[in-house]
Amino acid sequence: MARRIVITGLGVISPVGNNPADFFGRLMSGKSGIKRLQAPFVEKLAIRIGAPVENFNPNDHFTKMQLTSIERFSQFALVAAAQAVADAQLTLSAAEQTRAGVCMGSCMGGAGTMEDGYIEVLQREEPRVKPLSVLLSMNNAAASHISIKYGLQGPNVTYATACSSSAIAVGEAYRQIKHGYCDVMLAGGAEAMLTLGAMRAWEALRTLATEDPLDAGASCKPFAKDRSGLVLGEGAAVLVLEDAERAIQRGAKIYAELVGYDCSSDACHITKPDATGQSRTIVKALAEAGLQPQDIGYINAHGTATLAGDIQETLAIKNVFGAYASQVPVSSTKSMHGHLMGATGAVEFMAAVLALENNAIPPTINLHQPDPECDLDYVANQGRTGLQLNAVMSNSFAFGGSNAVLIAKRFHR
Amino acid sequence: MSSLPTIQRMMVEQFDLKLEDLTPDALLEGLGLDSLSVIEFMFNLEDELKIKLTDERVELKTVQDVANIVDKLIAEQKGAA
Repeated sequence: MARRIVITGLGVISPVGNNPADFFGRLMSGKSGIKRLQAPFVEKLAIRIGAPVENFNPNDHFTKMQLTSIERFSQFALVAAAQAVADAQLTLSAAEQTRAGVCMGSCMGGAGTMEDGYIEVLQREEPRVKPLSVLLSMNNAAASHISIKYGLQGPNVTYATACSSSAIAVGEAYRQIKHGYCDVMLAGGAEAMLTLGAMRAWEALRTLATEDPLDAGASCKPFAKDRSGLVLGEGAAVLVLEDAERAIQRGAKIYAELVGYDCSSDACHITKPDATGQSRTIVKALAEAGLQPQDIGYINAHGTATLAGDIQETLAIKNVFGAYASQVPVSSTKSMHGHLMGATGAVEFMAAVLALENNAIPPTINLHQPDPECDLDYVANQGRTGLQLNAVMSNSFAFGGSNAVLIAKRFHR
Repeated sequence: MSSLPTIQRMMVEQFDLKLEDLTPDALLEGLGLDSLSVIEFMFNLEDELKIKLTDERVELKTVQDVANIVDKLIAEQKGAA
């Protein structure tokens, strides 16, 4: 019989809270973490908004010596992992460590360190850069630090598939357990790219939201007629995935069962989202979960608030869900936490898992002007509580055409 | 003048180490400084003491070893200036 995989621990550092309870509470209350950035460099940018992590002091978590080799994105990842491991009350024997691993997602790794290096070498023409630049900035640093800290001797891998990176990290970690290679996996994503160069590059692509003239926090408007794009954010999320039998035997708290995952590609355009490819991914994830569309009580949308993206995702949901599409609540929490790039898939899947856990659905905020082409139930502006959710889905659709869908179900023995 | 006091002060500042632990014969590894920490430390020393490390690979085991190599570089590079 196929192994079942459950979620037993959660950890998050995000623009809307630095632990799972604060994170979900803030999402339910519809409060945005998007704001005008304070860094001095924003004066050089046309678009000056972002979703920064706040109230995070590295010195509260790391010694000065540790901080010489742990970049901001790895700091987020390690603190989120520590929360998840504590939440799961996870301990691993020496033998168990050989069957435990880590999968993380990140787009730009230590973007800040890279930029500092470029400034030294290219602008100041310094003959040297910080000697640990490579170790700080490498994309797999976050996963590697987690592996080292918890002695995870199984796979230690990092996925870089743009916006779906950490959804794929969670899904591939699930497969590691499902296919019998491991019994426990830490999975998630980390990103810290609110830097001048990265923001300038995104600005040039013309996909960033313009600042709302009345309220910077209301700048990201998924599925709304007046949407203008995404808002860059930073943070990390880590989940503990575990073989269900192991979790039951040790009496672990089980948030949910991860029952469906698919990762597949549009194979048509480097940026243009494609409803056909997205539909295919959703269909395959549902099939793996053994669920019908009507079983899904909530979809956490990719919902980037780009003009094309929100329409294509709406079409994809309609393609797969048919008549039920208009009844399933769909929300984009990016309206509040922004787009965390390599961390966003895991952050949003965590939002979906917490929705299931709490029988409550966070809203899509800033949805006051409906777009006729986006005509689903987007849980506009007001979260919903007192529901009976049985299964939830999280969509992640990336530049490059790499799509991932994750489905979690309430766990029953 | 030996660079030892400067090195001790910088180790306290950079790594939150205790001055009393930084005896000349204290082992770097025993202080928690692995090879990467030492590389980072030497990089900062270059700035502080206006010296330039050479490509020569030297084995640094103790705090005094660091002071010795730095003193040698100071003598060579400041002397030549």
